[in-house]
Amino acid sequence: MTVVGTTPPPRLPVRDKAAGRHRAGGEVSPMLTRLAAERATGVLERERGTLYLTEGRVAHAESPLAPGLDVLLLTHGTLDAGAWREAVEQADEEHGAARLLLGAGRIGQGALEVCHLGALYDAAYFALAPSSTPGRFRYGTGHPFGALRPVAVDALERETLRRRALLHRLWPDPLPDTAPLLRAEPVAAPGLTARQRAVLARVDGVRTASDIARALGRHAFATLVDVRRLAAAGLLTAQFPPPVPQPPPGLTLPRVNDPDITLLKRLRDALEAL
Amino acid sequence: MPGIDECLLEAMRLPGARGAALVDWTSGLALGTVGEFPGGDHEAAAAEAAEVARLTAEQRAFTPGDHDDGSGEEAADPPVEDLIISNRDSYHVLRFVPTSFDSSVFLHVWLARSDGNLALARIRLGEMAGRLVLG
Repeated sequence: MTVVGTTPPPRLPVRDKAAGRHRAGGEVSPMLTRLAAERATGVLERERGTLYLTEGRVAHAESPLAPGLDVLLLTHGTLDAGAWREAVEQADEEHGAARLLLGAGRIGQGALEVCHLGALYDAAYFALAPSSTPGRFRYGTGHPFGALRPVAVDALERETLRRRALLHRLWPDPLPDTAPLLRAEPVAAPGLTARQRAVLARVDGVRTASDIARALGRHAFATLVDVRRLAAAGLLTAQFPPPVPQPPPGLTLPRVNDPDITLLKRLRDALEAL
Repeated sequence: MPGIDECLLEAMRLPGARGAALVDWTSGLALGTVGEFPGGDHEAAAAEAAEVARLTAEQRAFTPGDHDDGSGEEAADPPVEDLIISNRDSYHVLRFVPTSFDSSVFLHVWLARSDGNLALARIRLGEMAGRLVLG
């Protein structure tokens, strides 16, 4: 048999993912790193969330995209709403709400630490997401909840990057994280866990992943994990972003938001991630 | 009632204990660690243990017969109590921690095989998990 040697076809262009990851791994927020180094106390407001620093460590975090500690504790009846309100109203600089709840024996130290740390990392994941506007820092006092187990800034940044990578591995399209979700008819539906069924039952074309997390009293990141796995299984899709408003007449702009291009880009990303 | 650190220090008093951690199995995050971990990297050890714990908790084969597995959508407690892994020189015991609020945490204890006592570790970790999250 004659084997004809041919030059192999040129490699298809693939974006250098390793280099991109390396860049992202450098610093999530240079400002936060600086504040940690100077052991600052105050409030760092970013586009998608707020971090409360106490002597350079993150004591508390909030984000409109992640259910707060109150939602997590009240939804499943760990605390009753009255006890929570009382503690928040009486909290002052000296005795944060955490100390009041623990002092009154409303909740155990371990339970509150586990729940608070969970909420902190959850909100920080969104607060540290790439943003289009610079963050603002106000020096001052900590959060009225009080510092329970402050987290080092570098540990928080490492965890945030790890979570981003974890979601990317599950399903590389980030659109379902923020868009309203729609149910899809799968070709061959895999077996679902009870948690995933609960998420899927609340997908109605209006709610986003954050809305579902709040309705279920669950961490937003845990819900994103379920949502991306359901998207990978073909059980739900994200609604495409609403169409861009028409430019004023007389002005012609190149149409860059073509749905076909978006679809092709998503396909490319999914293929690259295989 | 103990906090995370007290609970982990108590776990370290088990015979043969080398390291103890409280880990979230959805994200792979260690909420607290005490002692040493295989390979010297407790973050990597937590992420790997979390992967095993998640797989175990999600398999129907390991779910008890009377477990509410989805007809009612909120199965409150993890379906598995604990998970034991042994190798030539050590034991790993992973104890799932049921909580009244939504969470996915387990206690992970690494025991030297020469003086570790699995039966005792199982009983003690069960008690510790209960005390840790007493509402």
